[in-house]
Amino acid sequence: MNDHRSVSIVMIEDDEGHARLIEKNIRRAGIMNEITHFTDGTTALHYLFTDKNGPAMNGPALVLLDLNLPDMSGTDILAKIKSEPALKRTPVVVLTTTDDKVEIQRCYDLGCNVYITKPVNYESFAQAIRQLGLFLSVIQVPDLEGQ
Amino acid sequence: MPRPLLLRLGVREGMARQFLIGSVTLGFAALIVAIAAAAWSTARSQDHGKWVTHTYEVELAVTQVSNAIEQSETVRRGYLLAGQQVYLDSYRNVAAKVGPALAAVERLTLDNPRQRQHVARLRVMIADILTHRNGTIALVQAGQREAAVRAFVNETSAARMKNIRATLAAMTGEERRLLALRDEELQASVRMFYGILALTGVLLFLLALATLATVLRYTRDLSVSRDSLRDFADTLEELVEERTADLSRANEEIQRFAYIVSHDLRSPLVNVMGFTAELDSATIAITDLIDRAEQAAPEIVSEDARLAAREDLPEAIRFIRTSTQKMDRLINAILKLSREGRRVISPEPVDMNAMIQTIDGSLKHLTADRDATIAIDGSLPGIVTDRLAIEQIFSNLIENAVKYLQPGRPGRIVVRGTKTGSRIAYEIEDNGRGIAATDHQRVFDLFRRSGQQDQPGEGIGLAHVRALAYRLGGVIDVSSELGKGATFRLTLPTMLTETDSIRPGEDR
Repeated sequence: MNDHRSVSIVMIEDDEGHARLIEKNIRRAGIMNEITHFTDGTTALHYLFTDKNGPAMNGPALVLLDLNLPDMSGTDILAKIKSEPALKRTPVVVLTTTDDKVEIQRCYDLGCNVYITKPVNYESFAQAIRQLGLFLSVIQVPDLEGQ
Repeated sequence: MPRPLLLRLGVREGMARQFLIGSVTLGFAALIVAIAAAAWSTARSQDHGKWVTHTYEVELAVTQVSNAIEQSETVRRGYLLAGQQVYLDSYRNVAAKVGPALAAVERLTLDNPRQRQHVARLRVMIADILTHRNGTIALVQAGQREAAVRAFVNETSAARMKNIRATLAAMTGEERRLLALRDEELQASVRMFYGILALTGVLLFLLALATLATVLRYTRDLSVSRDSLRDFADTLEELVEERTADLSRANEEIQRFAYIVSHDLRSPLVNVMGFTAELDSATIAITDLIDRAEQAAPEIVSEDARLAAREDLPEAIRFIRTSTQKMDRLINAILKLSREGRRVISPEPVDMNAMIQTIDGSLKHLTADRDATIAIDGSLPGIVTDRLAIEQIFSNLIENAVKYLQPGRPGRIVVRGTKTGSRIAYEIEDNGRGIAATDHQRVFDLFRRSGQQDQPGEGIGLAHVRALAYRLGGVIDVSSELGKGATFRLTLPTMLTETDSIRPGEDR
């Protein structure tokens, strides 16, 4: 990513174990950016929109989003991000267990940038996350407007 | 509907039928009586006709007697006056007729004692008068005409004639009286005939009315019962629809449940597997460290640490791995079943013989390895159903048969099918190890297996087969004796329609 230090990764994932495994495997791919983890939608939204360290106030970010959250649906968060002018260019990677095609279409319609299904087999899962890490290392993230 | 249907519908069929049969019988009896009365009446009137003829015959005969006597008297008088031979001849002619005429009267009136008395008296009187006449004629012949005329003048001949006439008139009267009597009888019999006829008519009319009323009531009962039967059928249909909807809902619920459970169970499993992998790689690092420490400074490596790194940790990880892998397979099985329940089925004609041959071909390596043969008994009836589903059912059943053979006995698997009405029963029979009677239902349950566990598998196949059979609107059961083989019997509708199959839930 543009500047390894400046782009932060916001991970919204309710399962602590998954979050830890995702982080480990991303790190193994050589991504050293700061990763901020949230286990529910409400605090994640609060961070994204109003926190002074959050992407809306402070610098570019990339969002890793799980769709099955305890307090709200991931698609709601996606819709909110994509309808907020300060955040709409922020890349969102949906990373979830659902492989339903209607759900996938809906996410892309809402403006999701990448949709990845979590493989159930651990080896494939680790592999997929590492590949995602490699992918993240080369994509360009737009700067916040005016910065 | 707990009450018996016929009772509920209230048709007293037996009573109505008995009454109708009784009425018709009575009607015919009345007709027979009427016909008998007509025959009797006709016979009576014929009889009467004969009697009328008889009366006229008697009257005619009496008139002939009277004529003969009157005429002979006239001719005798002529002879007495004129004394000519012509008169005498004529007299003899006419007088000869009197006897036969009287005989005729006597013959006709033999049955009547009063007439016989009359005839007897007539006979006496006629004999008397004839004797007298012959006397006067003899006098004329003897030339004593004067004496003859005198005798004629003196004779009581006129009185005698009057008597005869009176008797004859009495006889005629008697006949007339009898005729009148018979007329009266005829009238009576005719009246009686008309009476019987009227009575029969009234009876028939009443019977017709009663029969009509019965038939009408019976028809009304029938239509009422038909209406209530239709209502009953409607209610039944509604009931069936309701139950089917309930079933579909319950089925959908189960499908959804299975899907959610299997999906949500996977999430923690990914963690278990993932961190086991982490643990594994960490173990490698630790083992490496122990190895190096052992070489550099053996005194710091305790026996416990060595055992933990080299045996306990790898063993624990191995057990966690195999268990999670098994759990993953089970969850996958549930997910597969629930997905199968959601799949849209599309009926199409399936050539079962070709399908069995394809399955036989795909199992060739297995059958050759285990000395088993797959045969079709006769020819299998074709079916319209979901191709993929029925193929999965048959390959599961046949593969099971090949897998669970009785050791030391070459396997022989026979597939046969018979069409009965709108359903086809397929049988897959083997001579393998069989299934104990207590397990006949259990083998169709998910994750349940029977007998010796020497073959790989999770106990999914038959559960899957049963779910598919239900989806295709069919049923499956097994009959088997342990050690002798098993026969799976699959009954499916010949033509699968949308309503036959249990509808899947909405696809997610």
